[in-house]
Amino acid sequence: MISGPIGTTRRAQRGMLREWRLQALSVFSLAVAFVCLGAALLVVSNLSAVEERWAHAGRASIYLKDNATEDDVESFRTALAAVPGVTKVRYVSGGQARAEFGAEQVPAHPELASLPVEAFPASIEIEVRPDLPDEKLQAIVAKLHQLPVVDDVETYRTWTDRLAGLVRGGVAAAIVLALVVLAAVLAVVGSTIRLALQRRSTEVEVLRLVGATDGFVKGPFLVEGIAQGAMGAMGALALLGILFTMVRSRMDGELSALIGVEPSFLPWQMAVAMVALGAVLGAVAALLGLRKLVAV
Amino acid sequence: MPRPDDDAPPAPFRPLLRQGVRFGREAAERPILMFEDVYKSYRPGAPVLRGMNLVIERGEFVFVTGASGSGKSTLLRMLYRAETVDKGRILFMGRDVARLTAESVPFLRRNLGVVFQDFKLVKAWSVYENVAIALEVLGLPGRLIRARVGEALERVGLQGRGEDPAGVLSGGEQQRVAIARAIVGEPALLLADEPTGNLDPQLALDILGLFEEINEGGTTIFFATHDRSLLDVRARRIIVLDEGRAVDIAGTLSPPFEDQYESLPH
Repeated sequence: MISGPIGTTRRAQRGMLREWRLQALSVFSLAVAFVCLGAALLVVSNLSAVEERWAHAGRASIYLKDNATEDDVESFRTALAAVPGVTKVRYVSGGQARAEFGAEQVPAHPELASLPVEAFPASIEIEVRPDLPDEKLQAIVAKLHQLPVVDDVETYRTWTDRLAGLVRGGVAAAIVLALVVLAAVLAVVGSTIRLALQRRSTEVEVLRLVGATDGFVKGPFLVEGIAQGAMGAMGALALLGILFTMVRSRMDGELSALIGVEPSFLPWQMAVAMVALGAVLGAVAALLGLRKLVAV
Repeated sequence: MPRPDDDAPPAPFRPLLRQGVRFGREAAERPILMFEDVYKSYRPGAPVLRGMNLVIERGEFVFVTGASGSGKSTLLRMLYRAETVDKGRILFMGRDVARLTAESVPFLRRNLGVVFQDFKLVKAWSVYENVAIALEVLGLPGRLIRARVGEALERVGLQGRGEDPAGVLSGGEQQRVAIARAIVGEPALLLADEPTGNLDPQLALDILGLFEEINEGGTTIFFATHDRSLLDVRARRIIVLDEGRAVDIAGTLSPPFEDQYESLPH
């Protein structure tokens, strides 16, 4: 059958090929709009990964008071090793901390070599099970704070909170950008469809005269709108992919090691959702543009 | 080109006005077209048609003529529902065209063929595509469409020209494509709105001959023209639109037609 979905798609394809310049301009404009949204989503998804990683860092540093004796430290280590959820306990003296810091940073920053050993307090580094709930870790920390040998406990929670704030900001930015994209898609696809309608007014008139139903006349324009939206989103993903690869290839590997997460491209579900969003918005814009169809 | 159903007895004409709703068998016995007390006005106090009455039987070839602005095009536009009547009825096979819902209008048009002075072809499409579209809207299989378009192009003398872009054809050829598009669906009624208006006299006569051939096949022709040279070619029924009414001059040739036409009030 010619007038089914295949026929409609074929007629849409014919129309798009005949007006490929107009279509290409529309798809390019949409791709630019979607790149903004995609970039925001890319940042948000990577920040979320870092937040997730740090939220479950699975370690804590317990800084000891200067007056802690070796016996205190040893009994403290033994007690910590017996706490449920704690998997590893390691004592780091001030001298050891100084040495480790010097090995890592002094070659790059020689001025740090003069830091005194007193600047590095002795600590006990503990590792906990990665699946240990935050509440339990917080309960352990609260108990540790009450011990006389403990000066401070660092669970890196502050960093996680900061990252969470950043993610929330990123999500808000992505929502704003999504609205901008929505407006852009409606404007661009709507204008393209109206322009196509104007340029193909004879075609529409002929279709009306030979007894085409509304659906038959509007179908190809609707398909064009969907295709423009989806292709705009796909173009944006391709462009983002190229930019992402370029940025990642220049990224210092130590940065990834430091933050503990390898930067990753948008998850496939998000990419598919972006293309689907483009298609849906394209369809809506086309329908809005088709409201005033040439009447015969 | 032979048709698969050449040997089968012709089926009674049963136009389809809505999907799944056909005219009854008795519809084939009625006049194909009736105008009953039709009024149409674009400006208050200046009606184009005022109480027009007219009956056209199946298989007739009817010329509609009159001065510019007499309402020839309006009459045709009301028939294919590009315009609506202000008052009265237009019955196509007994069905009141004016009372059709907007959803039914496409199904009315599938039972009509319309040819225009400006051809109304999509220049970017090929000849084949311009003709095939009339069958594509019906949802016919591609194989059948190809066969019937080939047949229609052969009837209008454009066999083998299917791949040509419509925009590069001469005026006469373009009008032939438009006629092929109008007849490819085998409509019972063919409307022609000044179809020779853009053609030179010889081409106009050729196109008229084509309409006559189509009429010989049983299709009713409703041919609006102000070209009086066409009216004199053969004795045909002529409807003169004058003062918003239809004046019937049946089966005449000039000079009698000339006399009658000139005697009408203008």
